Amino acid sequence: MNPVAWLIALPLASSPLIYLAGRLPLEPRRAARWQISWALSLAVLAGMWAVFAAAARDLAALSAAPVPALTVEVGALNLRIDGLSLFTAALVLGVSTLTLIFSGVGVSGRAGAEKYFAMILATGGAMIGMACAADLFNLWLWFEAMMIASLMLVAFAYDRPAALDAAIKYLVQNVVGSLLALMGIALVLGSAGSLRLDAVLNEAGSPALLTAGALFILGFGVKCALVPLHTWLPDVYTHAPIGTAALFSGAITVSGLIAMLRALAPLGGAAEVWGSLLLGFGALNIVAGNLLALRQKELRRLLAYSSISHIGFMLLALGVALYTREPAAAQAGLFHLLNHSVMKALAFLTIGGGLYSLGMDADRPMPFRQLRGLGRSSPLAALALTLAILSLAGLPPLAGFISKWQVFQAGMASGSPAAGALTLFAALNTLLSLAYYLPVVMLLFADAPAEAGAPRRPLPWRMQIPLILLLGFVLLFGILPDLARLLTDPASAALQGGFGGLDRLISLNGDSLWRLFF
Amino acid sequence: MIIDMYAAGIAAVFGLLGIGLYGLMTLRNLIKVILSLQIIGKAAVLAVVVAGSISGEIAIAQSMAASVIVADTLVAVIGLALAVQMQRCHGSLDLRTLSMKFHTPPEAENGG
Repeated sequence: MNPVAWLIALPLASSPLIYLAGRLPLEPRRAARWQISWALSLAVLAGMWAVFAAAARDLAALSAAPVPALTVEVGALNLRIDGLSLFTAALVLGVSTLTLIFSGVGVSGRAGAEKYFAMILATGGAMIGMACAADLFNLWLWFEAMMIASLMLVAFAYDRPAALDAAIKYLVQNVVGSLLALMGIALVLGSAGSLRLDAVLNEAGSPALLTAGALFILGFGVKCALVPLHTWLPDVYTHAPIGTAALFSGAITVSGLIAMLRALAPLGGAAEVWGSLLLGFGALNIVAGNLLALRQKELRRLLAYSSISHIGFMLLALGVALYTREPAAAQAGLFHLLNHSVMKALAFLTIGGGLYSLGMDADRPMPFRQLRGLGRSSPLAALALTLAILSLAGLPPLAGFISKWQVFQAGMASGSPAAGALTLFAALNTLLSLAYYLPVVMLLFADAPAEAGAPRRPLPWRMQIPLILLLGFVLLFGILPDLARLLTDPASAALQGGFGGLDRLISLNGDSLWRLFF
Repeated sequence: MIIDMYAAGIAAVFGLLGIGLYGLMTLRNLIKVILSLQIIGKAAVLAVVVAGSISGEIAIAQSMAASVIVADTLVAVIGLALAVQMQRCHGSLDLRTLSMKFHTPPEAENGG
């Protein structure tokens, strides 16, 4: 077995062990038991980071190939690790690690915390597996496994009606989505006879394969909240435990986008069709997300709708990339994906921290009036929330501005009037989004209410570390955006290469991924 | 004759898919909705098998069908577990009792 396969095997194999370790009858106190699981999970994630570094090094050694990819065979299982896989792995590992550190406080008081830690690892492992799948059916299986594992994260607080309702909605809508995607896979199998993701199907314009691609967009689109299929998302983001919301906004939701791009790659002959569909859905997502966010009175739900509009930005950029084969657009879209994960993980974890510092349950929704005076009671949380929200709004010099600007530039440079017009429309929508972002920031620094006699808790170090790290990334990617290219360049090269755009590949910079670590 | 078999298979896929989607749209009981999901799942399994026999990749199709049945069963198990919990929480399995928006008073949510 190639050591790189441990990137997937390690979390999946250790997940049940972590659950069992949390239930060992060694210590009568529950507090000590969850700490065992928590520490073990962190150790597993550290091991995964080491494997990730090794995989990045191996991949960088292959940089002479047009689309470098490591092929790993584990029994009957074929894995293909390329730039997009490593991009996904970095995203999953980063968000999981920080959420896990944070959740050491959030869910620790509750029974069954070991289940939560085990499921974070299982979800992450399945998602990395999905990004490394070598054929369509393996992609679907990993996707389904990830959906089931992430459902456990949503349903963790099943004794609260609102969280249970969110879990039921998530289950029903996503199962229909993944079954539609499976129908698409059956169509590809029936008409082409090959499910390999690196195959180029010649008859990509045939009715059966066009239907298959449309089913992929619909099916995987449920997971990444294409607008008519987005209704599960606000409930999950509002009522699931705060760590789950951070994981969803940081990694799980966009996995639908990655699965969609992967599944469409063999149908790359019709890339213009897929590109125009993604452009349309992107514009729809941006405007619907923004309009729905305007009416919200609760911060987590507002951030959920803002996620929908940010996913629209990614769809728009990737649509430009497929429609016009503009290489900068794929890079910009993936950069925005990365930035959005960092900003949203920061925003959600800060909400948890803010509620904790106000003496409340960190996993509950946060109505706007509880934001009042947070600036005084917890300066770190207020600063982190302010920067996250200003970055989401796209104000310079923060990360969200740079990637939106790159999407805009790529759309304008693509030379297609339709793509240019939709990009301009998206840029104007950014102004609309200020209408709901700025009042939140103003509330943060408003005077505290008179009856503010609630107990105030200082943030423990386990909450401070993830906030400070994510805050650092929001500033870092804003000031040094080229740093993110270490990850996004190989990923967009893999993406373009998968769609048969080899002739217009951007030049890969030798051992760029390897330099990320040393 | 063999063409007719494919046609029958494809017709069955569309029939099952139609029944499942119709049930999903009209039924309001969580258990019946899960049954509809299972019917759509069976349509997908049949689609995989028919596709495999059309393209001659029968071995791939059979292993795929077996895996899909396992995944589908997992979904049913978890869905029914949620149904048990829903009956406990809401006293009903009617999906119309699901909260459609953020309506719970924040005071009650945060314990004061």
